[in-house]
Amino acid sequence: MEELLEILSQVKPGVDFEKETELVDSGILDSMAIIQLVARLSDEYDIEITPIDLVPENFNSAQAIYELIKRLDD
Amino acid sequence: MTYISYLYFFGFVAVVYPLYLVCPKKQKWMVLFAGSCLFSIILDGFLAVCLLVTSLAAFFCGKLLTKLQEGFNTAKKDLSKDEKKQLKAKVTKKKKAVVASGTIISLSSLVVLKYTGFFEGIFNSVSGIFGGIQLPLITFALPLGISYYTLQAIGYIVDTYRGKYKAETNFAKLVLFISFFPQITEGPIGRYDKLMPQLVEGHKYTNENFTGGATLIFWGLFKKLVISDRASYMVAEVFDNYTKYGGVIVFTATILYTIQLYTDFSGCIDVMSGTARMFGIKLESNFRQPFFSKSVGEFWRRWHITLGTWFKDYVFYPVSLSAPVMNLSKASTKHMSKFMAGVVPSAFALFVVWLGTGLWHGASMKYVMYGLYYFIIMLIGTLLEPVFVKLSSKLRIDRKGKIMSFLAVVRTLILVNIGMTMFRADSLEECGAIVSRCFVNININDIVYGTIFSLGTDKHDFLAILIGVLIMLIVAVMKEKGTDVLSGVANGKIYIKWPVMMGLIIAVFVFGAYGPGYGFVENIYAQF
Repeated sequence: MEELLEILSQVKPGVDFEKETELVDSGILDSMAIIQLVARLSDEYDIEITPIDLVPENFNSAQAIYELIKRLDD
Repeated sequence: MTYISYLYFFGFVAVVYPLYLVCPKKQKWMVLFAGSCLFSIILDGFLAVCLLVTSLAAFFCGKLLTKLQEGFNTAKKDLSKDEKKQLKAKVTKKKKAVVASGTIISLSSLVVLKYTGFFEGIFNSVSGIFGGIQLPLITFALPLGISYYTLQAIGYIVDTYRGKYKAETNFAKLVLFISFFPQITEGPIGRYDKLMPQLVEGHKYTNENFTGGATLIFWGLFKKLVISDRASYMVAEVFDNYTKYGGVIVFTATILYTIQLYTDFSGCIDVMSGTARMFGIKLESNFRQPFFSKSVGEFWRRWHITLGTWFKDYVFYPVSLSAPVMNLSKASTKHMSKFMAGVVPSAFALFVVWLGTGLWHGASMKYVMYGLYYFIIMLIGTLLEPVFVKLSSKLRIDRKGKIMSFLAVVRTLILVNIGMTMFRADSLEECGAIVSRCFVNININDIVYGTIFSLGTDKHDFLAILIGVLIMLIVAVMKEKGTDVLSGVANGKIYIKWPVMMGLIIAVFVFGAYGPGYGFVENIYAQF
């Protein structure tokens, strides 16, 4: 989780990712940021994020992103 | 047969609807299937053949994809993590080959019929430079609806590949999904997981569905016959002879064309959605008050929504997540500022999306430029965003305030109106000439002495259009504020429902541009 929070703060600085639960719905993570984030996550965790995973529920919070990584790593 | 015809309502829907209602629940979908097949054959026998090819490709590819996925799901249970990865890579490779084959077969008839002449033209231009051979230009008659159902079928194949749902096991049901008659010629482009359960559910008659559907149908007819068709006569005259007219008339014609296109397209979608609603089926929304948009990007999220979301899900995301764009994103992050590292990969993916959107609308350079026009505007907007943020902060301007929001809406309207002019003009040069023409020979006497009313759309037509647009505006403002007037009417008390319904019916029959003296106006979006 620590590593993920570090990546998130690099992609979008100045956001309290530990507390924020509407990253996509409130527009904090737009499509540009998500594409950047996906590139970093695929690289760091050796996972394949596909278009079907690109739904707000998977990116609305750090916890949701963490769950997505765990799921794709299985 | 078009949706706006006596034959459609009294010869087709009037037969299929009662049959659907009397049929047992489990067999109701068969009435829709038979009706959709018949509708396609009546429209164009060749369309039925193309539909069959696409449906067969979607059916067998879908089944194969699900079989491969299920085989993997069973096999992986007893494997280690590494073995699982290896098997997954192997299965994914096979699935990719299947999805590519299915997509190519589905696209083939569209590409051959729609784009052969376009690609030949490009070949001849390049060949001409080097003094090479010139190919004879071949053009085919395009079956109605091919651009819509092809996307719908591809969406189904790709979603099955992604494992979003299992493939359909009944071929006739899949044919029904791809060819459902209210949406075959102009969309909205449906998704299997949302539409299919409704198609096979077998709905019984309800007052809510009947009046809701009928209200939508008459609302659509009102837009098409009272507003769009009346506007079309002056639009045709001025766009075909723009050099004869001064700025006031040409400018009015460009505005009228935007109104014509919106009321034609959204009106037909309302008629189709209303028909489907009578059967208890809710089609996807294709419009959400697009002219209240504060940016061109927002406009495209509210205009032809199902096309936009299709391109987002099946072009933007796959391109964005492809290995080259991912590598570009990583390289940009290393070597560029945070802002540009976000912009560059997205811009690449958006370029592909808008090139595709332009080409989808038509096989000519005009449509390519039409798509790229919006891409360039959005790119400029994105690149200048940090400047706007800094500027508004320095000048203490509230960008979300009422005045700035209003100005943003006006700016979007101007940009969209230029886009629509490009869409209607025969070429990019002609669009430039028409836009320039808006600023020359500006003579208010064109209105005072009535020249403007002598170009096919007379004073009474203008009055009907004006009142119609005002009614639409009120309905749109209320919907924007959360009140759906049409649903309110359909579900309202009898003393609200019937007067409004009667008013709509009378308006369509009395003020509609049909019958002697009025030419038939083709649905614009059915021609794609």
